[in-house]
Amino acid sequence: MSAEVRITAEPIDNGRCKFLVSEPVHAGGVRRFASPDEARGSPLAEAIFAISGADVSEVIVSGNLVTVVKRSPAPWPGVGKAVGQAIRAALAAGQPAVASKPAATGSATADDALYERVADLFESQVNPMVARHGGRVELIDVQDAVVMVRMAGGCQGCGMADVTLRQGIEAMLQQHVPDVKGIVDITDHTAGSNPYFAAAKK
Amino acid sequence: MLRPYSPRLLLLLPTVTYRTVAFVEAARRLGVDVTVASERPSTFERANPTGLVTLDFADPAHAAVQARTFAYAHPVHGIVAVDDDTAVVAAAIAQELGLRGNPSAAAAAARDKHQQRQLLAAAGVAVPRFELRAIAADPDGLAHGASYPCVLKPLRLSASRGVVRADDPPGFVAAFRRIKAILEQPDLAECGDWARHVLVEEFVPGREVAVEGLVTRGSLRVLAMFDKPDPLDGPFFEETIYVTPSRLARTAQQDIAACAQAAVRALGLREGPIHAEIRHNDRAAWLIELAARPIGGRCSGALRFGNGGSGLGAGVSLEELIIRHALGMELPTVEREHQASGVMMIPVPGAGVLREVRGVDAAQAVPLVEEVVITMHHGQMFVPWPEGSRYPGFIFARGDTSEAVEAALRAAHARLEFLTEPAD
Repeated sequence: MSAEVRITAEPIDNGRCKFLVSEPVHAGGVRRFASPDEARGSPLAEAIFAISGADVSEVIVSGNLVTVVKRSPAPWPGVGKAVGQAIRAALAAGQPAVASKPAATGSATADDALYERVADLFESQVNPMVARHGGRVELIDVQDAVVMVRMAGGCQGCGMADVTLRQGIEAMLQQHVPDVKGIVDITDHTAGSNPYFAAAKK
Repeated sequence: MLRPYSPRLLLLLPTVTYRTVAFVEAARRLGVDVTVASERPSTFERANPTGLVTLDFADPAHAAVQARTFAYAHPVHGIVAVDDDTAVVAAAIAQELGLRGNPSAAAAAARDKHQQRQLLAAAGVAVPRFELRAIAADPDGLAHGASYPCVLKPLRLSASRGVVRADDPPGFVAAFRRIKAILEQPDLAECGDWARHVLVEEFVPGREVAVEGLVTRGSLRVLAMFDKPDPLDGPFFEETIYVTPSRLARTAQQDIAACAQAAVRALGLREGPIHAEIRHNDRAAWLIELAARPIGGRCSGALRFGNGGSGLGAGVSLEELIIRHALGMELPTVEREHQASGVMMIPVPGAGVLREVRGVDAAQAVPLVEEVVITMHHGQMFVPWPEGSRYPGFIFARGDTSEAVEAALRAAHARLEFLTEPAD
């Protein structure tokens, strides 16, 4: 099975890279791991944190998408190949690559409360705003106070999606839900078929 | 608790740029406060009036007034532009707010190929012989007075859009009419006098390179010199591969760097990034174009500064250098990494509507290839050059030598297949 798995790397910048996998890696919602300790029991996340010289700080797994954040200046080609090997090995093992979300803890309870507040903000303010450009922003999950979103419609693949994310949504979260520590976009922007702004100039 | 001081960057991002993520994320990494200015309002502008502003990019003087109003409430410490038009806007704003930047006249001259030619020629910089022609003129009459081979080009369009070589009078007439049709499209016809003229210039044979540089107080620091291994002999000038370091002889590289510096001086540019296209032959280094902006598209991904390790100077992007420079921050390094690096602007495979791209995984699997990015979306129209200006995507590679990088880019491209269907 592992030989047939196709993985496409999409570096966002030197610190973050999305890996699109041709088959589901984790079907049970989103899992975010912010340390090797948190990754314990999830073979894929353990393997990615163990990549030598990468100094991985975060792994987010959702459906066919694996997002890796690293501190090391090591370029993505080398690190990405190791991530690809880890993904293939985890899928070939015949065991869940990522463990299910653990039962609610104190932190999870806090995340649930944050989720509700963020969801309210999205429904009442964020989505009405992006809807003006034919866009939609889905709140996927909140883990350890980090909000995970997926963009759709006019936002998916839009040339200004990062401005919407950082200057729009993140700024609103800082203002209205200051307990949120960060926001992660887990959108596959290459699959966007109707972006509101399409890049055109060289 | 008081928030630590953070300088504010005004980042001019046209809504059609490829550069958004690179600049926004670079600013975040540096921890600076960013205000993104665009020519069309963000739907979040009222919710975040500090971080988003709409400026009239079509009228730099008006944009400067708007920026001054904004800066009264939110002081701005630096400004960065990402393309030819916003470079002119940035210059006007920099002048208005007393920020580090170029004189408006210099930025305007860099944007306009005719003004640029005039200033360069007057300063003794080697440029092709050139003449300005009105698109209302009779092309048959112009064709008989022209020297061949020659190149016809609009004064401002980017990405070699509308640039055509003519080898004889019939070729001249055909090229002229084609460019005229481009310039008469509604979105361009209203752009002003420049869209009613064509520059006709001598074709200069030779190897073409691209120079990426940073200007400080009028002095150019060359950050990278890219070879363009595919001959750019026309009839159209769609770019493909850029590879650095250049394989030209050291003396040729010195001539090219000197040519770029002379052009910077002649245009009066003082601060910020430049991107120059220069041809080199046994006669001279010829300035083809110099823009007061960084390299376009996604191509900056081929540039990385510093050499591994950790700390301030490791893995620095071009965008970080540009932002640091604009804000007067320390530049951790301006030395490009040791590895050779290259990018291919994927050629348009022909006219049609994109339905499917095959072979991306295979292309990605080519040794030394780092990334294959398809930037066009399914359903978008491919428009070949000279009418077009949009690449299907970009391929990046790094390796020990420029030869190996070039070979990897070509091998990856050979594995891609674009399926299209005719436009309605």
